[in-house]
Amino acid sequence: MTNRKGGLSKVFDYFCNEDPFAEGLSPCPGCPLELALRLLGKILGSQDLVMTGTPSCSNPVMTGQNVGAWHRLTAYCTLMTGAAANATGLSRQYRRSGQDATVVCFNGDGCAADIGFQALSGAAERGENFIYVCYDNEGYMNTGVQRSGTTPIGAKTATTPVGPKQRGKSTRRKNLPLLMAMHRIPYAATATLSHLEDFAKKLLKAKEKKNEGLAYIHLFAPCPTGWGVPTHQAIEVCRNAVRTNYFPLWEAEKGIFTLTHQVKKPKPIMEYTRLIKKYNHLKEDELERIQEEVDYEYEFLRHLTEFRKCVATKHQTAGE
Amino acid sequence: MNAHARLLGCGKKGMLNMEGTEFNKTKIKVITGNSAAAHGAMLCRPEVLALYPITPQTEVVEEISGFYASGELDAEVVEVEGENSAMNIITAASAAGARAFTATSSYGLVYMYDALLQAAGYRVPIVMVNVNRETPGITAVSSGQQDMISTRDSGWIQIITSSCQEILDSIIMAYRLAEDFDIQVPVMVNYDGFYLSYLAEKVEVPCRADVDGFLAPLKDQPQRPILKPGEPMGFGTHGILEGYLELRYKHSTALERAKVKFDEIDKAFERHFGRSYGGQIDTYRTADADMVLVASGSLSGTAQKVIDLKRDQGLKIGLIRLRMFRPFPRERLIETLRGKKAIGVIDRSICFGWNSGPIYVELRALSPEIGYIPMMSFIDGIANMDVSVANIERMVRILQSASEGDSYQKVTWIGMEEE
Amino acid sequence: MIKKFQFREEAGWSHADEILLCLDTGSWRVERPVLNKEKCNYCGLCALFCPTQCMVDRDDHFEPNLAFCKGCGICANECPRKAFRMRKEGDA
Repeated sequence: MTNRKGGLSKVFDYFCNEDPFAEGLSPCPGCPLELALRLLGKILGSQDLVMTGTPSCSNPVMTGQNVGAWHRLTAYCTLMTGAAANATGLSRQYRRSGQDATVVCFNGDGCAADIGFQALSGAAERGENFIYVCYDNEGYMNTGVQRSGTTPIGAKTATTPVGPKQRGKSTRRKNLPLLMAMHRIPYAATATLSHLEDFAKKLLKAKEKKNEGLAYIHLFAPCPTGWGVPTHQAIEVCRNAVRTNYFPLWEAEKGIFTLTHQVKKPKPIMEYTRLIKKYNHLKEDELERIQEEVDYEYEFLRHLTEFRKCVATKHQTAGE
Repeated sequence: MNAHARLLGCGKKGMLNMEGTEFNKTKIKVITGNSAAAHGAMLCRPEVLALYPITPQTEVVEEISGFYASGELDAEVVEVEGENSAMNIITAASAAGARAFTATSSYGLVYMYDALLQAAGYRVPIVMVNVNRETPGITAVSSGQQDMISTRDSGWIQIITSSCQEILDSIIMAYRLAEDFDIQVPVMVNYDGFYLSYLAEKVEVPCRADVDGFLAPLKDQPQRPILKPGEPMGFGTHGILEGYLELRYKHSTALERAKVKFDEIDKAFERHFGRSYGGQIDTYRTADADMVLVASGSLSGTAQKVIDLKRDQGLKIGLIRLRMFRPFPRERLIETLRGKKAIGVIDRSICFGWNSGPIYVELRALSPEIGYIPMMSFIDGIANMDVSVANIERMVRILQSASEGDSYQKVTWIGMEEE
Repeated sequence: MIKKFQFREEAGWSHADEILLCLDTGSWRVERPVLNKEKCNYCGLCALFCPTQCMVDRDDHFEPNLAFCKGCGICANECPRKAFRMRKEGDA
């Protein structure tokens, strides 16, 4: 596998395939979505890959213009409502006709958590054989930064502005990766772009696990433009999201949870929010509220990872 | 019967289906319209099906599930979580090369509207059964064509059937039409909910080999483009300016070609199975008629009976049964209607904004070609209300008086108005 | 007279082997990364995190392909040895 030279990071070993995308693509400077797409191609290779995408920030990259294309991958442009259903149709036909295919549904959080959630949940329940990657930038970025179901509490967006009567989003985010894991699909995981080896491993595991049913990866991908993050700090934001336990890295196989990256001394949420302008308005008590949210979600998750000891029955250890 | 196909396809002895009956024989069954639809779909060997129940279509998905469970249908059957996904699944499966099928009705049809438009624009040759039912807005579990009408500009080919046999046969013809290399447009086969969906009639169920034989010419055609893993092809590209216009132009002209193609397929079907429905339109005693009723769907049988009654009374009246609503059979309608003295159009739906029936509005657009002929819209059969012999006789009386030069009311809401 | 068709198919199919689209993203840049080779230990993190994946491997260091580098500065920020410095376009 490796033809890595000298002191190069071993992470390079995971990116052994050619970048299938054109060199100049449309995402804003510093956009982790662009990095995610290029790395996804390098990790999975284009041999049997079929990518699907919806109208979104990824669409001008995934979907061509007239007869021209931005990449050398096989691609299908879906609707937001039926993204997972389109992927179902493709993977079913490939399965039936005996063609090796890795169908990857690559969608934003608006599609995954909101308008396309029904189709995603249905595909999970039916055990469809594809990978669903949700790149979560916590809102509708392509339409100009509106709130979505994964926009966190307190965040300022174009539809949750800050004023005398509103202080950003007033409700908490939908924990979509947890919801997906609760379908007890073969594989559900979180990943982000500061932890590339973790991301690559999970993607490869998803490729393997998708033969048993739906594999879901929730990829935390900040939007520098929409969040008010200097372009050079996009990866740092990812890292601090992990270090503060705002976005813990974990995986769940058929409902058995494991933390893939333990944060020994989690930093206060301020270390994360201070990098992002969408939180600029927050006062101390509001930050405390966010910290409580983070603590609750992390504790919940930690309990789930311990839960495995209670259910290590014959059925579960045998992989059901 | 095509003798060649019979020899090729039905020559094998001893092939049994799960019921233990012979595989290679046409069977006479008494089945409902829904069952006929399920049989028709199964016989075409669809490879990917998405099934979601809705009254009055439910029996279709139940029967297909039964065919799958018994082994008669070898396919990927997706018990999907909603109609929107159903349409998305079969669209993508078709793009990946599958013959695909789904069935819906009313609320389900409008719930898949974005996917319906996508399927048409993507030019995937899928076939869907739509069991006509009134649409949301006034809660109703009853028959009516408003659902089909509300999707008329979606770019689909829309066929309306009027008997259980015709439902089965039309699905087979629909695959020939949709998958024809010159067409590549999805086809919606419609039939009246409640009236036809639950009505049991004698139906000749062809043997699978005969259906294979009828669909075989599709294999001799050029291969339509298919999305294959690892090939650098993108499907659903942005249409930019002239690129978008070109795809629209191609779609529209494909629909124009579908009209004559459907007539040809009907003739081929007759040669193969011995049954014909007239293609785009089915005409009954129109040649020497002064007055013509235009109808569609299950009420056509009643209308035909009234035509006979009135003919016996010396009235020169005929019936056009509209079988194809999209594309609209302009040429054949013009040919049939030119020189008539009065035209009455029965609609089971409303054209809002025109306060008349939608098929009536479309026929009025033929006036430059057929000349000024008194034309009347009859709205009837809404929400399961029976389009009775008496109702149609009443329409004929209005039609007759108009044909004699009397003044007439353009739109009559039968059932709303005192006679 | 109908114009010559762009698409060979009936529907919207794109073909990367015929036309691979590409934007001149290098022209977006307001700052460029400049490497101090002495500080670089060739770990490659700059190349890994570069969203445009435009870092060219020069065997003992990486160099951004300025035709496509958008100047986001992630390479400079992520470099553990701070070997890259962002310099305004136009400055010497």
